[in-house]
Amino acid sequence: MGTALENRVRREAFWRNLRQDYFASPAFSLITVISVGALLLLVWQVVNWGLFDATFSPDARQAECAAKGGACWSVIANRWRIILFGLYPFPEHWRSGLACLVVVVVVVLSCIPYFWTARRLSITWLVGYGTFYVLMKGGVLGLPLVREAQWGGLALTLFIFTTMAVIGMPLSIAFALMRNSRLYWISRPMGVIIDGVRALPNVSILFTFAVVLPFMMPDMLVGEKLYRVIAGFILFFAAYQAEIIRGGMQAVAGGQEEAAKALGLSYRHRISRIVLPQAFHSALPATINQFVMFFMETTLVSIIGFSDLMSSARTAFSSGEWTFAFIEVYVFIAVIYFVFVFSLSRYGAYLERRMAVGSR
Amino acid sequence: MRKFVLPSLALLSMAVAGQPALAAPGDTLQGVKERGVLNCTGGDGSNPGMAELDDQGNWQGIDIELCRALAAAIFGNPDAVDIVPISWAQRWPALQSGDVDVIVKSSGGTFSRDTELGFQFSNTYFLGTSNLLARADLGLESLADADGGSVCVLAASSQEKQISSYAERLGIELETITMGNQEELRSAFFSARCDVYIDFGAGTAITHLAADNYDDYVALPDVVALEPQVMIVRQGDDPWLDVVNWTLSAVLFAEQEGVSSENVDEMRDNPPTAEVAKLLGVTPGFGAPLGLEDDWAYNVIKHVGNYAEIYDRSLGEDSSYRMARGLNALWTDGGVLFPYVVD
Amino acid sequence: MFLKSQKARNIGLQLAFVGLIVAVIVTAIFEAQSNFAQQGIGLTSDFIWKTTGWEMSFSILPTDRTDPYWWYLLVGLANTLFLAVIGLAGATIFGGLVGLALIAPNRPLNLIGTIYVEIFRNIPLILQIFFWYSLTTLLPSPRNAGALAGVFFTGRGIYLPGLNVAGWSIALFWVVIFATVMAFVWFMAAKRFRKLEPGQRRRIPVAIIAVGLALAAIVLFLGHPAGTPWLAIPEPQGLNIRGGYRIQPELYALAFAIAVAGGASVAEIFRGGFKAVGSGHAEAAYALGLSGWQTFSRVRFPLAMRAMLPSLSNQFVWLVKATTLGLIVGYTDLFAVVVSSITQSGQTFEFMAILMVAFILINFSLANVFNRINDAARLKGHQTRG
Repeated sequence: MGTALENRVRREAFWRNLRQDYFASPAFSLITVISVGALLLLVWQVVNWGLFDATFSPDARQAECAAKGGACWSVIANRWRIILFGLYPFPEHWRSGLACLVVVVVVVLSCIPYFWTARRLSITWLVGYGTFYVLMKGGVLGLPLVREAQWGGLALTLFIFTTMAVIGMPLSIAFALMRNSRLYWISRPMGVIIDGVRALPNVSILFTFAVVLPFMMPDMLVGEKLYRVIAGFILFFAAYQAEIIRGGMQAVAGGQEEAAKALGLSYRHRISRIVLPQAFHSALPATINQFVMFFMETTLVSIIGFSDLMSSARTAFSSGEWTFAFIEVYVFIAVIYFVFVFSLSRYGAYLERRMAVGSR
Repeated sequence: MRKFVLPSLALLSMAVAGQPALAAPGDTLQGVKERGVLNCTGGDGSNPGMAELDDQGNWQGIDIELCRALAAAIFGNPDAVDIVPISWAQRWPALQSGDVDVIVKSSGGTFSRDTELGFQFSNTYFLGTSNLLARADLGLESLADADGGSVCVLAASSQEKQISSYAERLGIELETITMGNQEELRSAFFSARCDVYIDFGAGTAITHLAADNYDDYVALPDVVALEPQVMIVRQGDDPWLDVVNWTLSAVLFAEQEGVSSENVDEMRDNPPTAEVAKLLGVTPGFGAPLGLEDDWAYNVIKHVGNYAEIYDRSLGEDSSYRMARGLNALWTDGGVLFPYVVD
Repeated sequence: MFLKSQKARNIGLQLAFVGLIVAVIVTAIFEAQSNFAQQGIGLTSDFIWKTTGWEMSFSILPTDRTDPYWWYLLVGLANTLFLAVIGLAGATIFGGLVGLALIAPNRPLNLIGTIYVEIFRNIPLILQIFFWYSLTTLLPSPRNAGALAGVFFTGRGIYLPGLNVAGWSIALFWVVIFATVMAFVWFMAAKRFRKLEPGQRRRIPVAIIAVGLALAAIVLFLGHPAGTPWLAIPEPQGLNIRGGYRIQPELYALAFAIAVAGGASVAEIFRGGFKAVGSGHAEAAYALGLSGWQTFSRVRFPLAMRAMLPSLSNQFVWLVKATTLGLIVGYTDLFAVVVSSITQSGQTFEFMAILMVAFILINFSLANVFNRINDAARLKGHQTRG
């Protein structure tokens, strides 16, 4: 890398920082030692169970696994396709996998600042969505038709989540503005709707959309159950997010809007150029938090009979052979959830740093 | 905002792929034929032996086999069935709203389901008893010795009611632990949260097999309750109920007469009795009154098998459970199942 | 725009919006009526008086299999509230502590805080509940548990010496306590309270709490059968331990899970709130000669609190709803009662409606309290400097 001197300087700086950050005083040193020790112990236990004493052979069953005493990854080896793809027809699993990849790619692309223009974003999403939909549903291009009721596993979880985010986000801005509107008959009903939706248990909203709504709608509007459920998700995502954006708007000093008014900016420009950017800035941590929670909230669809990741995982160990190995399956999907959600929250932290330039 | 309107509109238009909504009662058979596929209840993955997934992701189990038998009867193709995964709490509204055509989901026939929900039942296709499993180290002879103990019960199941009335009959006090999730319930029992575990049908045996150490647990002799499992259709749907009932009778009758998926072709070529000839559509008249083809029962037995084959694949010799037929044997073998008379 | 005058446009917009809502509701009602008629399903309310016929696994009020549905629903509601109060308090405490660790000028604390938040925020709550619950069952069974000062720690729960009073007075006791807390919060949030003299402002809450505690004590005293000892000590008996109180593992595992997971989100909101306060405020405060603690308590915290409130109320409402996961580990909250009732009686729509109304009531009260605080604390226009 550099000369010996540079290396030495770097090394010493490292040690100095370590000393200052972690061992500044006896109390801090104690905290550091205790926490690192506890962490190491925990990691050791987990590694022991998951690696050293674990069984990996696909042919092993309960007896072999019990003999080794650790985790029984054989269940994953045998049932991973059910966990990831749920009830999707077995020979068509590659489509479901490819569809997942498409969603991930689209999400990653829209996280890159280069794509943050209206046209690029909408084109990316339209193309990505179209591809996903055609892959999953089939019925064209020689792909056999797969009904939405059979979609499952990770693809379904991703589909619900991304649709929710893409439609719910603009909707939530509209909700927030309507609730903040100076017109009484717009802000008041909107407030009731938002608070009502937020007050209801998410399970009951989804249940209503899936089961009760067909009784309360003209037949032509009923549509496929999956889309009704997603509509329910969008509604309560938007209600939550609207409150967060409103909170962000409150943090924007009132004088700014007045100043903008004095400069003769129209309502649209005041909101889109002055208020919203700042509101987003202060609402960002909460927004990321919200995304994270809603990603995990998708597990609720299992209650109304969709086989998302969580419920396909349950299905995977609910057979006579594998009932004993439910912990391994749960660990496996916990890791999957963690990977997705953790990257979300790290991205949030990056955005925060990127936007923090103004507030130093 | 305009930048978001277009994509969301495009999505919405995709979403409104209109679906026939509520089924009016009385025309289910017609509706199924027009749709070309039967909508039948599946498990939500927690009903071993009745509805579960194998390693290839295919549904199997007694409930599922009966759905396939119905599809074979109507279309001559056991795969013309959509297994709609449905949770326990969702069974009734799903049938009411027409999401499914029939409930075949380990559901017992009860008075309130029959009278208050606008349903009607088929004949019994499986007799499930609720049995108990206890920790061996307690030395229980029967549940009567378990006064003051606790019992693990699946929430929102029939066993909730059964165990509390049974305990009352014995005059003992039991603490019930109800959980909504079968796996969690089992692991609670294995970690001694409860002394006794109650389950339905094969459930106790499956739980016993899943234990780390088989000998730590004993099956108690008590039979807590009997629940006849039935297929459920909407009230006023009589032609459809006939099809459901006769499909069940056909697989039972086939077993009684020794007709199986292996010998059904020979049997059709030279039927041993007039009844078998009628059953297999050799002599006409078995299909039209039901609104089906004359060889519908042949298709059922050819593709799905008789009741014994269904049982063996799902719960018996050829499954990982190895459960004896017990009550669910035919009346000729000391059980209580029987077909209606084919004349 | 199609209308020139601002006023006419505003009226038109409002009419359109309200009209849309009304149209949706009316359509829904008419459709539902015709569909129910077609299916032969009637909405009834007789089931409310029927007996349930099953036992509740957890109830803070006495229940029995012969009780009617309405009583079970009520007890379920009480269980939900009970768990929610414990869970919210726990989440606030955990969240506050971890949040402080996150904003502390101290690396190891930041690190611990971050690890905590990332772990408990990024794994579905269901899985966390499974984990904590399986830990509680590692304790010994009641028959081989040792007592510690009359307290037994077992896999069946923690047995404590309890007060020897009737069930109804316990229930009433909690109602009184709850009412006291609500009155206290209402006073703190009410606008007119801010106009009072500082002396009175301190006296009234004290008075409320004193009156509440006195009432609660009287209620307990009335429920105590005369001539019996006040304390009931748990004793091993048969398969179980009798006497005194038992805190069931379902309760504390669930409350702990909600507190830990909720704490992670609360901590994150806490941090976000402090980030929203520009560092200029703190620098200005230091420049004015305020100490570190004064800067925190007088400048940074009040400002951060305002930015936090909406998300915090979001979070609290969310946590109240998280109690519906109790079903998986056998805590019979309102949702569990509703699910069992649906299966046993088949009255899907009615029970769903009951569940929704109950939660709307709970959460509207909670959100209302928060909105009051929010309005009271809102930065007024002339206070834009903070």
